[in-house]
Amino acid sequence: MAGVWVFAENYDYCLELLQIGRSLADKTGVQLTAFACGDKGIGQQYIYYGADQVFILPPLAEDQPLGTYVPAIVEAARQEDPDIILCAATLRGKEIAARVAAGLNTGLCSECIALAINSDNKLEMKRVIYGGAAMQTLTCKTRPQMATIPPHTFTPVTELDDTRSGIIKEIGPISSTPVKVLAKKPRAKESGDITRSRVLVCVGRGVEKEGDLKLAGDLAETLGGDLACTRPIAEELHWMPQETYIGLSGQKVKPELYIGLGISGQIQHTTGIRDARVICSINKDEDAPIFKISDYGIVGDLYEVVPFLSQELARLKKK
Amino acid sequence: MLNIIACFKWVIDHEDIKINPETHELVLDRAGYRISDYDRFAIEEAVALTEQYGGSTTAVTVGLPAAKKSLKDALARGPEKAIFINDPAFHNLEPSQTAAILAQSISNQEYDLIICGEGSGDLYAQQVGPRLAEHLNIPCASFVRKITIEGRELIAERRVDEGIEVISMPLPALVTVLPEINSPRVPGLKDTLSAAKKPVVEITASDLGQTFASCLETVEIKATTMERNCEKFGAEKDELKRFIDVLCRAGVVD
Ligand SMILES: Cc1cc2nc3c(=O)[nH]c(=O)nc-3n(C[C@H](O)[C@H](O)[C@H](O)COP(=O)(O)OP(=O)(O)OC[C@H]3O[C@@H](n4cnc5c(N)ncnc54)[C@H](O)[C@@H]3O)c2cc1C
Ligand SMILES: Nc1ncnc2c1ncn2[C@@H]1O[C@H](COP(=O)(O)O)[C@@H](O)[C@H]1O
Repeated sequence: MAGVWVFAENYDYCLELLQIGRSLADKTGVQLTAFACGDKGIGQQYIYYGADQVFILPPLAEDQPLGTYVPAIVEAARQEDPDIILCAATLRGKEIAARVAAGLNTGLCSECIALAINSDNKLEMKRVIYGGAAMQTLTCKTRPQMATIPPHTFTPVTELDDTRSGIIKEIGPISSTPVKVLAKKPRAKESGDITRSRVLVCVGRGVEKEGDLKLAGDLAETLGGDLACTRPIAEELHWMPQETYIGLSGQKVKPELYIGLGISGQIQHTTGIRDARVICSINKDEDAPIFKISDYGIVGDLYEVVPFLSQELARLKKK
Repeated sequence: MLNIIACFKWVIDHEDIKINPETHELVLDRAGYRISDYDRFAIEEAVALTEQYGGSTTAVTVGLPAAKKSLKDALARGPEKAIFINDPAFHNLEPSQTAAILAQSISNQEYDLIICGEGSGDLYAQQVGPRLAEHLNIPCASFVRKITIEGRELIAERRVDEGIEVISMPLPALVTVLPEINSPRVPGLKDTLSAAKKPVVEITASDLGQTFASCLETVEIKATTMERNCEKFGAEKDELKRFIDVLCRAGVVD
């Protein structure tokens, strides 16, 4: 069955894709198909949440990675010729989508943040390029039209209709891949979810050593907010957990207040704070690009400014 | 002995991108170019692995003839030779084309491992690596933060959304690497001088014997804008008090 296909490695992300997938399918008058990994019960749920058809992929052996599904997805698409395939842009999802697109010789819009059907009944997709400096609008000339969608781009479907029925089709068997999973190390939930924070104090390389994070932590605490960072703080220096860095390849945040400490304001970082209500920054270089995108900027040494701000705010709070 | 291919892209320096304030079009004609940031980690990893296990690294790039300027910089970072696949037609290539061109050019080479960056500095599509692996029909692991080689097996720690997955795969294979995997060395004068003497193999579109059609069509490219107050404060005490006052009045501090 042609139409719109969605693939996500987890249930919640699949419900997000079912939301946008349903609306695209309705607009173009086609059916909506979801992939369910290894579980018929979940497949049935996807139908209640709006899918017309579900492909059940066989459960994976313990040592088989998610990418084992690639040939099966390619084969299904070759047989049924879908119009559109959407895939959740998780780390594994991005790799799988790229391999499926290569297998099908088709175009893929990575990390697509807006989708529409244009007057030619084609998918029009938007994504950021040049680190966030520009928005590119694309269409796909080949079939299927493919896109990966970052988690939380669309709200999940909430309306469950358990009278809906649909086709459940089992795919497989699948052959094993030479890639073997030897171990899984889930990350310790060290930090909260900065995408929900009301106030974020964000540290950059202007902070000289790990111990100085306390300065920023104190400010965050006084403001009732959380700590975030730029990519080098997490990826190169490992001072803070991976999931606390903001930007193009990190989290997109929308706090009421963002205060950046010792951050230059490279576009790859600031693209992640576009939706903040008030942006403040402290930088000793008066020409730092961060000032161009700040509502209120303090030109000064964070080591002098931050303790004073914390102290002054604490004093106000007591009053 | 490992034969490693490190793929890098020559990209526009995003700091040089100017915006026409009326049309919101990008003005790129005066911009400089550089090796895509994340590809420095790919080159470094290839060189470090050959230093550890023996072997040699070939740096490969696809681009316009003007990308020739990138070769000296790439070779100064340690690879023994370079393959420069270029043609005036290779303008604004999309990931499907780049991957197909790389696959065609590499297919007659001997290699044990191909290393790509996590994503290119301009498009950041994160597609070329996995697509290339698919074309060459070799296993791949993306977002890798640690590599060890045991005989003909590669063991990698890769990031996934819930944490880390440790995987093994037989060589030849392809990985895309994260910046946390290493700290690229900074080439010195000696490296730059010796780079000029290293061999470069040039391949042009006609050598590849086929054309590479695009799959995607760009409808529009527009600058993203971010309009903010841009009010500046000094670091003196009264300025900082005024700053706090402004935040209170904006209702973001209580
Ligand atoms: C494809 C791609 C994707 C990327 N994705 C991301 C991403 O998702 N997130 C991200 O953050 N980055 C990302 N980056 C990296 C980004 O380009 C920048 O390199 C990074 O954001 C810079 O971090 P920084 O501002 O902390 O450090 P720097 O650029 O080094 O800036 C430090 C600043 O601190 C100031 N400073 C120093 N000392 C003091 C002091 N005592 N008081 C006050 N100010 C001081 C300096 O003036 C300087 O402006 C990406 C890059 C690429 C190429
Ligand atoms: N033109 C190119 N030449 C050589 N390698 C490339 C080229 N474009 C992309 N790559 C490689 O593929 C990776 C991912 O690129 P992309 O899919 O554009 O994000 C880069 O980090 C490079 O290692």
